Amino acid sequence: MHILINIAAIFFLVMGLVFFLGGAVGIIRMPDFYSRLHPAGKLDTLGIFAMVTGLVIYNLHHFSLETLLLSIKMFLIVFFVFLASPTATHSIVDAGMRAGLRPWTQKKKKE
Amino acid sequence: MKFFGFVIVCLTGGLLLYGTMDLPDWGDPGSPASTHLSDYYIEHIVEETQVPNLVTAVLADYRGYDTMFETAVVFCAGLACFLLLRDFRPGKDRYFRHVPTGVMLHFKNPDTRLVAGNEFEHMDKEWVPSDMIIKTVCRILIPFIQIYALYVVAHGDFSPGGGFQGGVIFGSSLILMAISYNLKTLVKRVTEKFLSIFAAAGVLIYVGIGVAAMLMGGHFLDYGMLAPLLPSDPGHIRALGMLGVEIGVGIAVMAVMVIIYINIVSEGRHDEGL
Repeated sequence: MHILINIAAIFFLVMGLVFFLGGAVGIIRMPDFYSRLHPAGKLDTLGIFAMVTGLVIYNLHHFSLETLLLSIKMFLIVFFVFLASPTATHSIVDAGMRAGLRPWTQKKKKE
Repeated sequence: MKFFGFVIVCLTGGLLLYGTMDLPDWGDPGSPASTHLSDYYIEHIVEETQVPNLVTAVLADYRGYDTMFETAVVFCAGLACFLLLRDFRPGKDRYFRHVPTGVMLHFKNPDTRLVAGNEFEHMDKEWVPSDMIIKTVCRILIPFIQIYALYVVAHGDFSPGGGFQGGVIFGSSLILMAISYNLKTLVKRVTEKFLSIFAAAGVLIYVGIGVAAMLMGGHFLDYGMLAPLLPSDPGHIRALGMLGVEIGVGIAVMAVMVIIYINIVSEGRHDEGL
């Protein structure tokens, strides 16, 4: 039973790490402001969800009221990040559009 | 003139750097702070104050004077911001927008009053169309932020936290309201009078607890003397005194944060801004 729980926890943690890695690479590699915000918003939501799920499963090794309450509190963090992070991304993009920053387009040099 | 400023800055910086040469090394076990004081705190705090968080006990009890004047400094910062920036002259041109149609009204005479229902909304210089997503999410989040701030203040003697941190979180929740709606919405709900009274009241609560201890026959800020006033376990009284002090600090910091924000973004006019 413990092995199964450990495997599940490791699976979710590694999944979160993969998402975080992809997001970090994306922030560096993407060409402009708006497209860089895209991976930034992604890794804040799905990455944190996967990581916290892994931690919650690991935390519920010894099932009792205390660990259950702690797990609920961890999921509350995910809930607030899910609310706040996309809103922040949205408002940053909004501000960029209003400031007159043009989205990036591929320049065609075929003459 | 710039050259003299540069020389003075270099001189002061050099003197400060020279002064640090006398300080003990970082983490040096032979330094005066580590030989007597830290050991005493670590050994005696829990039995003397019954507060499990050593940092709070040192900050609010052993070094109560220090924290009291820190609170006074925060209050003075708010006061200085008010005195330097507040501008009571009547505002310049004002703009109103008719919400259903989008027609804009421009008032050149500052004395004109617009008598109308909710159909008109005030427009700032930097007016932006109201964004439903940001408004809704902030409306959901602000109460949770405020509850968390109160938790940080009230739980300061058991876990990391305390008056300064809780006050800053509470103040930032009010600032979030000003950012997501507009400054008028905040100033209508949290008036300047309210903020000024609360900033002073926070410092007054701190000093008042100290004076109450003096009136009960102890030293200034000697919480142990407050035991007859409160129906509680006499051993736990120092923790309760610290909690009262933290509440005062939290109120003062919250009010001063919002005063500084409002005065800076609206250039002292309290009518429009960010």
